[in-house]
Amino acid sequence: MTITLYDFELSGNCYKLRLLMSILGLRYDIVPVDFFPGRQHKSDWFLRLNPFGQLPVLVDDGLTLSDSGAILAYLARKYDASGQWFPEDPATTAQILRWHAVADDITATSSAARLALGYDYDFDVEKSQAGAHRIFRIMDEHLWFGERENRDWLCSPAHPTTADIACFPYVMLSEEGGIGREDYPALRRWCDRVRRVPGFVVMSGIFPAGRPLEEVQQ
Amino acid sequence: MTLSLDDPHWHPIASSDDLPKRHVYQGQLLGRELAVWRADDGHVNVWENRCLHRGVRLSIGINEGAELKCQYHGWRYANRSAGCTYIPAHPADAPARRITNRTYPAHEAFGLVWSAATHAQPFAPFPGSEGADWFALRPVPLNAAPQDVALALEKYRFQPATDLDGEPARTMIERPAPLTVRLSAQTGTALQRAVFFVQPVDANRAVIRGLIEGTPADPLAVLRHHNERLTQLRDRLERAARRKPAPEPLQPAFEPVSVELSTMPDIAVPRGNTLRVLVKRKWNSAEGITAFELAPLDGGHLPTFQPGAHIDLHLPNGLIRQYSITNGPGDLLSYTIGVKRDPASKGGSQVLVDSVREGDVLAISEPRNNFPLRRDATRTVLIAGGVGITPILSMARFLDKSRLPYELHYFVRQGEHAAFREELNQLAGTITIHAGLPRGDSSRTIAAALGHWSRAQHVYICGPATMLETVRSTAAAQGWPDEAVHFEYFKNDKVLDQSSAFEVELARSAMTLQVPAGRTILEVMRDAGLQAPSSCEQGACGTCLTGVIEGEVDHQDVYLNDTEKRTNHAMLTCVSRAKGKRLVLDI
Repeated sequence: MTITLYDFELSGNCYKLRLLMSILGLRYDIVPVDFFPGRQHKSDWFLRLNPFGQLPVLVDDGLTLSDSGAILAYLARKYDASGQWFPEDPATTAQILRWHAVADDITATSSAARLALGYDYDFDVEKSQAGAHRIFRIMDEHLWFGERENRDWLCSPAHPTTADIACFPYVMLSEEGGIGREDYPALRRWCDRVRRVPGFVVMSGIFPAGRPLEEVQQ
Repeated sequence: MTLSLDDPHWHPIASSDDLPKRHVYQGQLLGRELAVWRADDGHVNVWENRCLHRGVRLSIGINEGAELKCQYHGWRYANRSAGCTYIPAHPADAPARRITNRTYPAHEAFGLVWSAATHAQPFAPFPGSEGADWFALRPVPLNAAPQDVALALEKYRFQPATDLDGEPARTMIERPAPLTVRLSAQTGTALQRAVFFVQPVDANRAVIRGLIEGTPADPLAVLRHHNERLTQLRDRLERAARRKPAPEPLQPAFEPVSVELSTMPDIAVPRGNTLRVLVKRKWNSAEGITAFELAPLDGGHLPTFQPGAHIDLHLPNGLIRQYSITNGPGDLLSYTIGVKRDPASKGGSQVLVDSVREGDVLAISEPRNNFPLRRDATRTVLIAGGVGITPILSMARFLDKSRLPYELHYFVRQGEHAAFREELNQLAGTITIHAGLPRGDSSRTIAAALGHWSRAQHVYICGPATMLETVRSTAAAQGWPDEAVHFEYFKNDKVLDQSSAFEVELARSAMTLQVPAGRTILEVMRDAGLQAPSSCEQGACGTCLTGVIEGEVDHQDVYLNDTEKRTNHAMLTCVSRAKGKRLVLDI
C-alpha cells in the first residue's frame, strides 16, 4: 500500500488530507506541486492527473482521486477502523455531505480573499470577505446552539467527522484574507476543539491549541 | 451621543460562557482589541490584545491555566498581574519585573463579563438588577453604529418566556443610559423584564447583549425565540447602516512601551518599592516551621514573581530578612512563606514566629529572583532540605502547570517533619521525602538522585549549608558542570575575614576610595554618597553583584559558583574584598 499526495504546503485543501492522514496514522509520500508562483497545477503533467487543474490529488494503489472532500470520505471509509470519521448511516452521511458543500463555499470565499491578498489572484476581495462572514455567522449560530445541545461538532454524532476537517482550515486561515473571527466566539471555541483532536498537525498559519483542562487534570 | 475613547463606563464584553478554561477569547471595546481569558482559579483577565515583545495578538496565544503564553516567542504572562514570568530565549534569567502587559478592569456579573476603557470607576450593578436572577441571551454582533443599535432596540418586541406563543405582548420601554434599553413585555398572563446592553465595539460595530429576568423552564426555546428576533433586528440595522456613510473607526492611541521599559534602569535601585501586607493566615506547617500568608491591604493582587523568587520582610524589630515565595504561577492574591524558628538567629525568625499575629501589617519588598528556573531542561531535579522546601515548592508548582516532568527530593532531619506536606501531595511530579537519614546515607541518596549528568539537565538545591556543599561536591564528582547546578543559600555561614585593607577605584563614578580593615566595600561606597543596591548584606542573595574590571577578588560569599569565582568577572561588595592592594569596579 502506497499513498501519494500531490501537495502544496500552503494549501488549506491539501492540509485537510495531511490532517486526516495524521489523525488516522497513515503513512504517505508527498509530491510537491508548486501552486504559487509556479502554477504547476495548470501544467500538462498535472492536468493529466486532474483535468480540473486543482489540488489536492491523491493516488492510492494506482487509484487517482481528486477533490479534498471526496478524498476525505474515501480515506475515512477505507482506513478508519473506528468508522467515526465518515459514518455509514444515511442521516449522518447527509449531514457530512452538507458540510462538505459548506467547506467548498468557505474555500470560494475565505480562501479566495486569502489568494487575492497574498497570492496575486484577481478575486473581488470585499465580496469574498462578505461571503465568508455570512457563512461564519451561520456556523457560529449552529455551534453556539450545539454547545447547549451537547453537540461539540458540526454534525450530530458525539465525535468529529470529516465535516469538521473539511471546514476547519480556511476558517483558521481567514485572517490571511482579512476576515477577523472576533464576532464568532463559538466558532473560535470549535477551532480549539479541532486542534485538540489526537493526531492533530499544524500548517503554516495554523497554530496549536494548548492542552485541554481535562487532559491536564488526569 | 458620540463614542469616547475615554468613556469611563463599564460595558459587557463577553458572556461568562464565552470563557471556558484554557481558551483565549478575542474581544473589542471602543476600538481597542482585547485578549480575555479565564485562569484555572476562575479569575477573568482582560488585557490589551498584543504581546509586549513583538505586538502579536495574545488572543492566538495559549491559556496554560495560570499563565498566558504568546504564540510567537513563548513569553509567559501571569494571571491577574499580566507580568512576564518567563522568556524562553533567556531561560536562565528572571524577566525584569517591569515587563507587564496593559490590563483593563474586569468584572463578572449576571452571566456577563464587563470591562471599561479606564480604571476610573468601580463596577456597579445596573439599576434594577437587585433581587432578581438574570439569564444571558445569545449575544448578537452587528455592523452598525452602537447609538443606532440602542435606538432600534427600543422597537424590539418579544414574548415572555412563559408565554412564547401567546398573544403579542405589550411592551414598556425605558432608556436608563445611552447604550442600555430596558424592556418589559406583558401579555394577559405573564410579565417579562429584560435589559439590553449595546457593547460599543467600534464606531460602526456593536454587540447586543441581552439579559432576561429569571431562569426559563425551557431555556433553548427562549434562546431561539430571542435569537431569531434579534437576528431580524440585526439584518434590518445592517441594511440601514449600509445605506449611509460608515463612521470613521475609532483611533485608539496605542501607547508605546513605557520609558521605564525602553531605557536602562539606574544602576542604584536600593530595595525596590516597599509594599504593606496583611498577615492573613499564620499556621504551623510542621514542627518548627511556621507558614505565613501575606495579602495586599487593598484586596487587589501582589506583584508578579517567578519561581525561586524571594521577598525582603521588614521585621518589627528593624531587621530585614529574605523569605522565598512558595506560590504557583499566577497565584497573586497572597504570598505564602515558610519561616523556621531558629533559636540561634539574631532575632529575625524568632520575632516573626513569636510576636507576629494574624491581622498584623508588615512591610515587604517587591519580589526579586536570584534563583530562576529554566523551563527548557530535559530533566529537572529539585532538592530541598528543611525549610529550603519553600522556593522548591514554587518551582514544582510552575513545572506542574506546564506539564514538565521533575523529580523532587525533600530531606528532613531526624525528628523533623516535612513542611507543606498537603501542598506537596497535590503535585503531579515524582516526590520523595527522605526523613532522618544518617549523613552517609544522605550522601548516597543524593548521589543516586543526581545520577550522571547529560546535556540540558539541571538541578536546583535549597537547604542548609552542609547539604548544599554535599550536593555541589557530589554533582561535580558526577560530571555536573557548575552552570547546571543552581543553588540558594539561606545565609552565609562562612567566617568572614575582614582584615585586609585596600583601594577601590570606581570606574564609572570616577572615584577612588580606601577600604580599611573591618569595613566592607559597600559601606565605604555608601559613606561616599553612592547609592548601591543590596539586600542580605552577608553574601548570600546576590543583590549587590558588581562587575570587576581589574584586580583579584577575595571571594567570601556563597552566591557565586566556583566557576564564576574563578573567572573574577564579578563580586559581591557586601562581603568580598581584594586579594591585592587595589580593585577596579564597574560602578
